[in-house]
Amino acid sequence: MEVVTGQEETDKPNSGRRAAILYGLAAFVSLIGLADAIYLTVEHLSGRSVRCTIVKGCSEVLSSPYATLNGIPLAGVGAVAYFTVFSAATLAAFGYKGAGKFAAFVAGFMFLFTIWLVYLQAFVIKAFCQFCLLSALVTTVMTVLIVLARRDKVGAVS
Amino acid sequence: MKRVLPFVIIAVVLTAAVAVAWNLKNSSVSPPPAPTPAPTGAALKTPTPVPEPGAQPPHARGDATAPVTLEEFGDFQCPPCGMLHPILEQLETEFGPRRLRVIFRHFPLVPAHAHALNAARASEAAGLQGKFWEMHDLIFENQNAWKDAFDSRPIFESYATKLGLNLEMYRRDLGSEAVERRIFLDGKRARALGVQGTPTVFMNGREVPFESLPVEKLRVLINNELAVTGK
Repeated sequence: MEVVTGQEETDKPNSGRRAAILYGLAAFVSLIGLADAIYLTVEHLSGRSVRCTIVKGCSEVLSSPYATLNGIPLAGVGAVAYFTVFSAATLAAFGYKGAGKFAAFVAGFMFLFTIWLVYLQAFVIKAFCQFCLLSALVTTVMTVLIVLARRDKVGAVS
Repeated sequence: MKRVLPFVIIAVVLTAAVAVAWNLKNSSVSPPPAPTPAPTGAALKTPTPVPEPGAQPPHARGDATAPVTLEEFGDFQCPPCGMLHPILEQLETEFGPRRLRVIFRHFPLVPAHAHALNAARASEAAGLQGKFWEMHDLIFENQNAWKDAFDSRPIFESYATKLGLNLEMYRRDLGSEAVERRIFLDGKRARALGVQGTPTVFMNGREVPFESLPVEKLRVLINNELAVTGK
């Protein structure tokens, strides 16, 4: 029979609360990504960022074939993904079952996709768009927060 | 209440996101250049006169009397300029030289595009032998072949060979005062007109918004302009 010490008992609610805070932080960070992605989508559709300027970067990246998926701006797909993670992380912070797992699944997929996009910028397009790099940073932080929240949640349940 | 709160937060964020996107979209669209027909149906809105005429004569395809003139400020290394190239060619074919005139002016974005200036020089050197447009087309059509090259000059020289240019003259003209001056004068005109990036296109002196450069939108604008001029 498993012996539960007093210290472990007090850690369980703490872990749960910490997980909720981490999910809340992940939701907040995803809002930055959402704002970035909305801005990029509108810029893309209006063509402002696609025009070449004296500063190299966004025009090369956003006018590349990798900036769209079957004609849909990739930034728009990103905005939907960020909103999905925001919703799931918010629900998870309020204790909705399964929401954390879903947030982790979507964020994990976004993280892997982000690695691919950074690789494309560095080695294929050979130009960096600062807004795309911000999105990569946000996705990374968001994923780390959700992974930490999942670990705390598991710690609290076991 | 606690069970409903997250859904309220999500709904608020969704509404805010849609509102922000809508505001951004509206603020990003510059006024359309659709001409406002004068009561007589004859006059176009007078373009703002600028003191800088650019290199003379300009490199132009189409009749000088054509009712619609598209003046492009372009950079040979700029990907969207490369995308615009076949669009303009298609429209030139559709409308013909009597109705549409296209002018190309240089606006090489240095240092962002390392080969843009050499490309502009190559086209101007070819222009001194009467083959500006042939070189212009070759450079744009093969943009992917040279834009990442370490040294693009041998590639442009191979185009000069392909066009049957006098290579000795071409090499000499690349660094000539005449070539540099034309590029410089186009740049002066671009700055006088407030050009910020490429491609920037003016239709009869009025800037065409970037989002109107896809072929179907540009076609509508040209037809509007033709309707106003009655040709």
